[in-house]
Parts: sequence; C-alpha cells; structure tokens
Amino acid sequence: MSRFKGLFRIYRSIVLYVMCGALFWIPAGLAWAAEHGGEAAAHEGGDLKDLLARCINFALMVIILFVVIRKSSMKDFFSSRREEIRRKLDELRKGKEAAESKVRELEQKLKAFEAEKEQILEQFKAEGLAEKERIIKEAEERAEQILQQAEFTIQREMEAARARIREEIVDLATGKAEEIISKEITDKDQEHLVNEFIERVEKLH
Amino acid sequence: MISSKISRRYAKALFGIGREDGNYEAYGKCLEEFSRFCNENETFYRVISSKIFSTEERKNVLEAVLAKSDFPDVVKNFLRVLLDKDRIAAIADITDYYRKLTDEVSNITRARIITARPLKEDALEKLKQGLERLTGKMVIPQVSEDGSLIGGVVVQIGDMVLDGSVKAQLEGLKESLKRGEYN
Repeated sequence: MSRFKGLFRIYRSIVLYVMCGALFWIPAGLAWAAEHGGEAAAHEGGDLKDLLARCINFALMVIILFVVIRKSSMKDFFSSRREEIRRKLDELRKGKEAAESKVRELEQKLKAFEAEKEQILEQFKAEGLAEKERIIKEAEERAEQILQQAEFTIQREMEAARARIREEIVDLATGKAEEIISKEITDKDQEHLVNEFIERVEKLH
Repeated sequence: MISSKISRRYAKALFGIGREDGNYEAYGKCLEEFSRFCNENETFYRVISSKIFSTEERKNVLEAVLAKSDFPDVVKNFLRVLLDKDRIAAIADITDYYRKLTDEVSNITRARIITARPLKEDALEKLKQGLERLTGKMVIPQVSEDGSLIGGVVVQIGDMVLDGSVKAQLEGLKESLKRGEYN
C-alpha cells in the first residue's frame, strides 16, 4: 500500500513539474517568437532586453522549481525511500545472515545426524553381533546341556539296568542257595550254627 | 491304647494286693491258668465277654467255673470285678502285664527262642546260660520252631532281637550283593 502511495506521489510531482514547465516555457517561447519577429527592428537595442528577459525567465523557473520541489516534498520522498531501501537491505542482510546461520545450523545438524546415524548403525551392528554371539553361545550351552543330560540319562539308565540285573542275579543266586542249603542242612550243621550263635551271645556280654 | 492302659491298671491293682500278702506269684499262676482256660474254651470266653448275655447270666457261668477251681478268693473276686466292669475280655492283656510285673520283681526275663530244628537239651541250656549272662536275669526260654529259618536260631527278649538264622544271613548276603559290596 505504501509502495503505491509513493509511486502516486512521484507521478503527481512529475505531472506538476511538467505543467509548471509548460506554463512558463510557453509564454517564454511566445515572447521569444514575438521578439524574433521584431528582430530586425530592434536588433541592436534588443540584445540587452533579451538577456534580461532570459535571466528573469530563468530566475522565475528556478524559483518555481524550488517552490514546487519544496512543496512536493521530493526530498522527504527520497530520504524515506532511501531509509526504506536501507532498512530493507538491512532486513535482507539480516535475513540472509539468518538464512546462512540456519543453513550452517542445518548443515551442522545434518552432520550430527549423519554422525548419529553412523553411531546408531555401528551400535546396531555391535548389538547385532553381540546378540548373534549370545544366541550362538546359548545354543552351544543348551546343546552341551542336552548332551550332558542325555549322557547322564544313559548313565543312569545303564546303572538302573545294571542294578536290576544284579538284583535279579542276586535273587536267583540266593534263592538257589536257600534251596540247596534247605536240602543239604543237617542236624550237625544246626548244632554248629547254634553253637556259633551261643559264642556270639557270650561275646556280647 | 486305652484298653492297654486299663489292663495295666487292673494288673497293677492285683499285683499290689499280691505283693502285700506275699502271694503275687500264686495269683499270677491263677491268672495264667484262667487265661489259658479261656483260650482253650472259646465258647466260655465268648459267653463271659459278650454283652449279648446279661451280666447276671455271665456271672452265673463264671461262678460255675470258679466253683470248680481252687483259686484264692482274691483272684475269684478280681475276676468277678472284671466281669462287673465289662473288662473280662482283656484277661489276656492283664495276664501278660501281670507276668511282666512278677518277672520284674523276681528278676526274670522271658526269652522267645525260635529255632529251625529242635534244639538239644544241652544246647538250650548253654543258650539259656549265655542269655542269662547277657541280661543279668534269670531267663525263662519259650522255644518254638520255624522251618522257614532254614537253620540257626532267633532269640527275642523284650525289644532285643538276636538273629542267628541262616535265613537272616542269606538276607544279609543278598542285600550286600545288591549294594555291590562284593564287587
């Protein structure tokens, strides 16, 4: 909005300036033409008057220009325009600096992100390796345990089987021994056994 | 348990009377005789110990038997009290405990001797003497036979068991072999 207002003011000043010029240059031109009409007559005495008219014309034009320029506040316009441009330049510079700073910050962030990404990747790789080693170790341990357990079970089963066989053999052997002794034992053997028992009883005393 | 405690109480009561009048051994013999009579005459025992019959009827039966016995009055009265109190069924327990009491006083211990084959007199005597030296009491042997012992002898005195049978030796051998002690 202020931009349109400034343009309008410039346009108005130029129109005023042109109108003023026309206002004063047309009479001056007319005067000059009139004067050139009688040039032949007053050629000699007219030079001084012509110079005077020209000077007055010029002075008037300067005064009018001065007034017009003062009135049209062209100075303010240009100074404000300069200030505005300076401010805008400052703003742009600041914006550029901020943008550059932002860029640098983003670049740093990007670098940090890249570093972090690398670190995370490394960490993941390390964790993956550790997990892999752990899983392998666990699997090995489990396999070892299973083997040990299997060996233990086999050992236990073998011992149990051995014990069962031994028990069966012992039962058979003692059963057979009992059978033979029952058949073969005599009164003399009984007497001997009783005497042995009596000796043991006496030893207890 | 309660029955056992009551039997002990009755046995102690009679034993106390016997100790006072000095006839505890005679009373003991009478109790043994009556208990044996009950064992041998099951019908009599069932009649006097069963509540199917009235006390009066049971008393009459008991009196009929007592009338033919030469038991001292103390023993007869004791048996009547047992019947009145419905404790006559515990006569075996009472007799056992009374025997223990008399044995204690007389320094006697009873040894249950189980043998695979009949024991010779001298072997039994030697065994008895050995047990007397071991216990420090006079031993009354109660010999019985058990062929399953195969050979040897088993003696039980109170809670003590001395096993010299072939069966026990074979069992010991069997257990040792099973434990692998002879490997």
